[in-house]
Amino acid sequence: MESSQLRAMAFAYRTLAFGLLSGFGLRISDFAMTWFQLAVKEWQRRPLRTVVTATGVALATATLFSLLSFQDGYREGVSHELERLGAHVLVAPKGCPYDAASMALHGASWSCYLKERYLEEVRAVPGVATAAPVFMAALYGDEGTQTVYVGVETNILALKRGWQITGKFPQEPDGVLAGSEAARRYKWRLGERVALPGLRGSMGTVNGILAPTQGADDTFIFLGLPDAQRLFKHPNELTHILVRLDDPKDLDGTVRQLRGCDAGLAMNVIPLAHVFRTIQSLVNSTRALLGCVGLVAMLVAGAGVSNALLMAVAERTREIGTMRALGASPGNIFRLIWLETVQVCLSGGVAGIAAAFLASRAVETWVRSKLPFAPTDALLRWEWWLAMACLGCALVLGSLAGLVPAWRAARVSPMRAMRTGGGWV
Amino acid sequence: MNGPPGNDNIVLSAAALSKVYQRGRQQVRALDNISFEVRRGEFVAIVGPSGAGKTTLLNLIGCMDAPTSGTLCFLGKPVQDLTEQQRTRLRREQLGFVFQHFSLLPTLTVAENVGLPALFAQSKAEPRVSELLAKVGLTHRRDHRPHELSGGEMQRAAFARALMNQPPLLLADEPTGNLDTATGEAIIALFQQLNREGLTIIVATHNPVLAQAAGRSLELADGKLRDTVA
Repeated sequence: MESSQLRAMAFAYRTLAFGLLSGFGLRISDFAMTWFQLAVKEWQRRPLRTVVTATGVALATATLFSLLSFQDGYREGVSHELERLGAHVLVAPKGCPYDAASMALHGASWSCYLKERYLEEVRAVPGVATAAPVFMAALYGDEGTQTVYVGVETNILALKRGWQITGKFPQEPDGVLAGSEAARRYKWRLGERVALPGLRGSMGTVNGILAPTQGADDTFIFLGLPDAQRLFKHPNELTHILVRLDDPKDLDGTVRQLRGCDAGLAMNVIPLAHVFRTIQSLVNSTRALLGCVGLVAMLVAGAGVSNALLMAVAERTREIGTMRALGASPGNIFRLIWLETVQVCLSGGVAGIAAAFLASRAVETWVRSKLPFAPTDALLRWEWWLAMACLGCALVLGSLAGLVPAWRAARVSPMRAMRTGGGWV
Repeated sequence: MNGPPGNDNIVLSAAALSKVYQRGRQQVRALDNISFEVRRGEFVAIVGPSGAGKTTLLNLIGCMDAPTSGTLCFLGKPVQDLTEQQRTRLRREQLGFVFQHFSLLPTLTVAENVGLPALFAQSKAEPRVSELLAKVGLTHRRDHRPHELSGGEMQRAAFARALMNQPPLLLADEPTGNLDTATGEAIIALFQQLNREGLTIIVATHNPVLAQAAGRSLELADGKLRDTVA
């Protein structure tokens, strides 16, 4: 690139900044503002083409922004869910699906069970602070709705330190602790005698209602462990054990001992930190792929922008020749065309980010329908720095896409002003 | 109107000026060994049939193109070997152009079109724009777009634009070519008024009335010059 073109680009960036600041009422330079206004006025020549071009950039920016926000949101959501679980290790039955951790987090019906006597062996392993037994079962309604029952003992409270219970934790037979969302859904009140959904003929007393946890616990119905085992006809059996350690730093050692105990052959010992690291590794490895998708979208948009500006330069050849005849330098023309390109791309970038924000709820609903074990936290994590970075990408896109059209325009001879024909006023 | 004799009074001089275009293997001699002078305050018409070389000569005078051979001096300084940057600066500061097709930017108002040369020269547009619009009788149209103007009004706006940077020489290429007779006569009157005020004008034209209104004609035929004094 020639130095004159580099100077023209630098002046154009300054013009863009001055123009934007002038738009906020800061009159910095009459000349810079006029160049800015001159570029803006060119949009009016073919407003539909300008809108379509900017829409391409908007779609690409929205795609890139949403993809990057999803990655961060998904990772954060999984991290928060594992924190809310309160356990360092999940002990599940051997032969259970690989996604046992997700089942424990979000609720599901289990196909295999642990013998309750394994609990004592788990508790006997050095380093185990709390081993909370859990019996989980899910019932599915006609409309695809799910009701999850979780049978637990009092020691679950050692794991669920964030729980706030209105009423009390059920310690008598038929006692029920309802998640906030479950209580709202079934219209349960404290102390009320209720029919247990999906369990015909079974009744329970609402001893407590959980304050919202922003997690899956809000949708669960907690029972005493013996009640759950009885209602679902699995006496002395568990679906999983949640283990909290004395020292999380000794995770690997404790896991080794859990696997080495007598019941170890019948148990899947799942360190949840490893689950998170695996998920993070998967997210990181998909980051490159999703980033490429976003970049390809930006490149396609950039090609569209460049093509539109090349057409505009071709249409305005005699007009550009006139400006050259009137004393505009090749650098002036380069700056003008390049400024138009950057303006279109920046506008598209801003619109894209706004559109991604407005459509986030719909996008999230669609993603959840495709990812059954998605975290309950928001999947799209909006960060201002990410929005600025995507806007920066749109600016870079505009800068690159404008180079060829601006160079072509700068080469137009002033003699083109003298040519007959053409559609100019 | 002719100015007093003397080299200081010569705005433009050409000596053995030629322009040859290469079209594949063929050479097209658009101008052939042309010599002439234009003094300060003169109103000169370049006349001739189509293809005679009028626009080519105007391009050379306007420093939009360089001659193949010969010399061209503007205000005593040779311009044939100027760089593109120097030629651009010369056009910006010393020359005014009026085109056959008006060549106003359609997205700008009349005032903004007139002020365009000031943008390129990085000078302030006002109050010069208002003065020029008053001079050509377009003050009431300053905020209108070109498509809202008549042909005559557009050409007057083009005049105002050409005079924005107060050039010593005004060039016009078929300024009445797209106008009806009555409007063309009004434009011719404007030329005469500007010339009376001291502006040096060179027009390329087919219009015999405009050629008659000029003080002097340069007749071109097949790229060669036959000087005719009106």
